[in-house]
Amino acid sequence: MLPLLGGAAVISNLGRNTYDLYAAGDRPQNFYMWGAMGCAVSVGLGLALARPALRVVVLDGDGSLLMNLGALATVAACRPPNLVEVLFDNGAYETTGGQPTHTTRGADLAAIARGAGIERVATASDLEGFARAIERALRDEGPWFVLARVEQATSFARAPRRPISVRDRFIDAIGPA
Amino acid sequence: MIAHVPDEVTSHLLQRLSADPAFTVVSCTREEEGVAVLAGGYLGGQKGALILQGSGVGNSLNALASLAVAYQLPMLLLVSERGRLGEFNPVQVPFGRALPRILDALGIQFFSISAPEEIDAVVGGASELAFSGLVPVALGLSTRLTGGKTLK
Repeated sequence: MLPLLGGAAVISNLGRNTYDLYAAGDRPQNFYMWGAMGCAVSVGLGLALARPALRVVVLDGDGSLLMNLGALATVAACRPPNLVEVLFDNGAYETTGGQPTHTTRGADLAAIARGAGIERVATASDLEGFARAIERALRDEGPWFVLARVEQATSFARAPRRPISVRDRFIDAIGPA
Repeated sequence: MIAHVPDEVTSHLLQRLSADPAFTVVSCTREEEGVAVLAGGYLGGQKGALILQGSGVGNSLNALASLAVAYQLPMLLLVSERGRLGEFNPVQVPFGRALPRILDALGIQFFSISAPEEIDAVVGGASELAFSGLVPVALGLSTRLTGGKTLK
């Protein structure tokens, strides 16, 4: 996904996505979150509204999003065309020991996104499908919700936890409006 | 950028803000969302305010602490007070009386406005404190200022 991003801003939710994003490609336009579980999509929404010419990609997790489902309705209500919410659904609270989330018990986050009013929803269960979905989401007007079913894994890379440095580096990288 | 969860006391203010093209107004399902939306807006270069009832601060604490405060992302919180003078709903009292100490515990400065003459100086000063000091700042809209909720 990273080679397709160009200068897009990426917000990663706490846990696996922040660790994986850092390991896959640390770049100044990455905003790593280590807290405020559930809030990544809302941070992305605020940024997307403030900067309509900037593509904003949120990397989110099922455990996190389940905490803040109302945010999907707010995204749908605001309709920012430049927002892409990528939901990596591994069915687990990975960084607390792998306990299952409700997506293993029937919760379908893609259906919830549609039900919240988001029209552009794609689901991918393999890399090829994911690549196609991401290319569309980065190219076509959104807001997009792309759900990718993934396996649990143990990520060892840890981004240095420096929230204020991340803030400054990110703001400088995305520049003024 | 204005984020809010609809509230009777500030409804006139929200109407005017929504009608003014200088403001981006986001109606949120929960106040915690609003904190995060404003955090994102600030990263994108827009200063913002969250307009909420006092009880809504209770719905915002983790985002305030681990996002706004931890990353030093400034915003104004315009808090219409509940559980204080004139409160009619007993369940609003526990959080309302705790709110000033909760904000203090989080290191978020809180200034109460009780009369119209105070508004300019307090809001102006709070804005400077927030956006130059790089901290969230809370302003309490006292029932003496607003009259409180009329819909009981």
